[in-house]
Amino acid sequence: MPAKPVVKRLPARRGLFAGFKGNVDAITIGLKYLVDPKRFTLIYPNEYIKLDPGYRGFIVLDPKKCIHCSSCARICPAAAMRMIKRMEEDPKTGKPKMKLWPVINYQRCIFCGYCVDVCPTEALYTVPYHDIVYENMAEMDWSLETFVKPPEHPTAKEGIPVKYIVDEEKGLVKVRAEEVEEK
Amino acid sequence: MAGIIDLILSIIFYPPIYQLVLVGLTGALVVVIFIIWFERKATARVQRRLGPYHISPRLAGLPQLVADLIRYAFQEVIIPKTVDKELFVLAPIVATVLSILPIAVVPLTSNPAYWPIPMDYSMLVALALTTVSPIFLIVAGWASNNKFSIIGGVREAFVITAYELIAIMSILSASAAVLSFNLVEIVEAQRVWYILLNPIAFLAAFLAVLMATSGFPFEIPESENEVVAGPFTEYSGLLYGLNMGAAYMKRFAFSILMALVFLGGWSPYTPGEGILSGYLIPSLIVVAKATVLMMIFSLTRSIYGRFRLDQALEGAWRLVFPMAVLGFGLALLEAYLGVM
Amino acid sequence: MSVWVYGEQKSELGLEGTITRKLEEDLYEVFIGPQHPGSGHMRIIVRIDGDIIVEADPDMGYVHRTMEKLSEGREWIKNVPLFERMAIHDACNVTVSYVMALERILGIEPPPRAKYLRTLLCEINRIAAHLYGFGIFGVFIGHSTMYMWSFADREVMVELAEKLTGARLTHSYPIPGGARRDMPQDFPQAARKAVRYFRRRLDEYRKIFLDNPVTRKRLEGVGIIPKKIAAELGVVGPVARASGIKYDARLAEPYDAYDEVEFEVPVYEEGDALARAWVKFEEIKQSLRIIEQAVDWLEKHPREAPIHERFWAKAPPLWKKVFEAEGRVKLLPLMANLKLPPGRAMARSETARGEIVYYVESDGKTTPYRVRIVSPSARNAIVFKYIAPGYKVMDLPTIYGSIDYFPPEADR
Ligand code: SF4
Ligand code: SF4
Repeated sequence: MPAKPVVKRLPARRGLFAGFKGNVDAITIGLKYLVDPKRFTLIYPNEYIKLDPGYRGFIVLDPKKCIHCSSCARICPAAAMRMIKRMEEDPKTGKPKMKLWPVINYQRCIFCGYCVDVCPTEALYTVPYHDIVYENMAEMDWSLETFVKPPEHPTAKEGIPVKYIVDEEKGLVKVRAEEVEEK
Repeated sequence: MAGIIDLILSIIFYPPIYQLVLVGLTGALVVVIFIIWFERKATARVQRRLGPYHISPRLAGLPQLVADLIRYAFQEVIIPKTVDKELFVLAPIVATVLSILPIAVVPLTSNPAYWPIPMDYSMLVALALTTVSPIFLIVAGWASNNKFSIIGGVREAFVITAYELIAIMSILSASAAVLSFNLVEIVEAQRVWYILLNPIAFLAAFLAVLMATSGFPFEIPESENEVVAGPFTEYSGLLYGLNMGAAYMKRFAFSILMALVFLGGWSPYTPGEGILSGYLIPSLIVVAKATVLMMIFSLTRSIYGRFRLDQALEGAWRLVFPMAVLGFGLALLEAYLGVM
Repeated sequence: MSVWVYGEQKSELGLEGTITRKLEEDLYEVFIGPQHPGSGHMRIIVRIDGDIIVEADPDMGYVHRTMEKLSEGREWIKNVPLFERMAIHDACNVTVSYVMALERILGIEPPPRAKYLRTLLCEINRIAAHLYGFGIFGVFIGHSTMYMWSFADREVMVELAEKLTGARLTHSYPIPGGARRDMPQDFPQAARKAVRYFRRRLDEYRKIFLDNPVTRKRLEGVGIIPKKIAAELGVVGPVARASGIKYDARLAEPYDAYDEVEFEVPVYEEGDALARAWVKFEEIKQSLRIIEQAVDWLEKHPREAPIHERFWAKAPPLWKKVFEAEGRVKLLPLMANLKLPPGRAMARSETARGEIVYYVESDGKTTPYRVRIVSPSARNAIVFKYIAPGYKVMDLPTIYGSIDYFPPEADR
């Protein structure tokens, strides 16, 4: 069933009262929303969206799983992920050994999620938040130490977590995150 | 010494002055702040937003406007090199002052002790004063020496020619009905509010005031998508704030006039003796009516886009002007039949 | 060389290469943009006579990012996020044809599930982009309610896209061979609710905007592009369809699941700004239909990885486990350095603004030899030059908004 083109006509505007009706309709709709605005504004930062787990937020490394394969750095389209060399003690032999570790530069990252998807051991995972502010650019270039633990989420400390649910009447409705999770 | 104090006091208590200061400046400022807040809030509601909020959520963001005022007051006023300096600075100031001048001559009570001027021809004087300020918007546009400003100024000129006649005719129709230019008599003659007797004239006046004060759908001189901010493109800081406020001041002055002429002025209250019952209460009633009128004006922003310049002019001359004429005719008929 | 400065000729400004020409008598030259509330990232130089536009010169290129050249230095898959930046609110539509071109060179065909998923996201994007266009259009003609409404309602679509892909705007969703995620369990329900919501809502849009006498007056008969001229200018998308040209890439060469879903391509014949607005309006309705059908199809058919065998058959068990658990299609490390056989391919898709064409040439390396993009806005920009003259200055935003010109997409 391929698509078919359909020639349509603009709705006609004829008659003495066409303009009148248009005005009345517009004003009625306006007043309807004046009475019941059905708004869903997020009052950030007093509230913040608790994002779904699948959301591509900040990326964190699980160092236990990483097998130092560099796939993540290779696929990164923004050259945000790069590998650094570290001298580490080999747990088996006890001798120092050169190892490659990924680090991420959030000045460049575009949150495409390729690195997470390509990592052969799921060593990279995303945290479902996105709103972290840095005081300077240098801080955004994470070191390995920062990279291995989830970043602090300051909004979560002050704000109320909410979720948006698609609704037939209002488009979106804002509900407390706990209420959604209970269901 | 005593003589000087007497002089100052007599100046302050010279009726047109205190009316201008009390209702015109203080009242207008309060009302305008409230109206801008209301307009923003109402528009926000229709548009499913919150509007001003973060400065005092409990007062629903009302102090936001005060904050804006303070911001305008302390912002740097940039005067570009290429402008005509004197006119550039003077135009918005004069325009603002002139736009509330009509308030200095309208009666807000029937008690003669508190009339600012003798009332016999007050309607004419008030209407004449409403027509003074727009020229300064054109001056502002011209002095700015900026293409957008000039286009905006020219548009303003077009719009002025369109609305002025309509506004004057439709408001004057009340004079025709009552056979008097005395605003007090016009107010007192309204056993039934004039809006009910002559809705056509009211509608024409309503549209004319929308045009006069750049309300939607006639927000054409400042239409930002072609002419940035119209005559105000080069302005900044306090001068810009004045320009913006001037439109609302003007709307307030017109609304007061319309409240007197169409909405029965201080009725149902009968002003008595003394400052409270003779001046304050009736003037409050008038201001309240004017405020309600302004609230209705501000709803158009959320419902309409703007007309094109030629369409607005065409609408004004082809539709609203005949309406005003019709309203005037109706007023004459009513006068003939002695309805009022 | 001398230049005109404030009406007099000066020879020594040191601005070699800046050529200005003397304006004809009585014309007024206004530079709308690039720093102008009504221009976007572009400049339109209009010369006006009174209130009539005599000449209009669209001056594009302010957001040129050398995308075609940049892409030559990047591996194949890395170009998807790059090309997305042309129109981030229409991300899937603008990248899907690039991915299709790659698939053609590779000689693979994505599985049906991937096709439906892509179609689903494409239509979600199309609605979002049309709403974006409506919003900008609304504010251009002073209708701020339309702006706020469509941006608020766009949020519904963005929310759906986020559920599906994990990102609000730059989804980077299609990849050679398929799509990156399957839909989550609660998606069909949310999508159906959104569709029902929009059906009702569109009626309100019509009342406050399209049928509003003020708006109608403003749009009717403005920027008329007759059918013949539209064909000559080579406009695409809603602009062409509003002029009676029955052309849509989804119609001409159905890609992905478009030959299986049922929908109409609305065509109007008036060719004015109002018709263009109506085309978009009707297209939203059709997109809603497609979303419903796609969701139905996806629900009926078993969940399996929406990616070509070639990238899935040899995938380790962890890949399958992740897909089972999260619906996320993990990429094989070879994706990073995917080698395409030498060859060339062309692909087109219908974005919200019209047809986008990619010509991709590979010389067997891990990076493209050449990618040529013809984006719809670039083709529609010509309207400014040939259609705007003769209309009023206040019609310029109407024309701009109605062709929904999007500079970042045109400039690439
Ligand atoms: S999310 Fe994308 S841009 Fe960011 S580090 Fe991973 S691959 Fe690079
Ligand atoms: S792809 Fe995964 S395992 Fe390989 S280096 Fe990156 S994080 Fe480590």
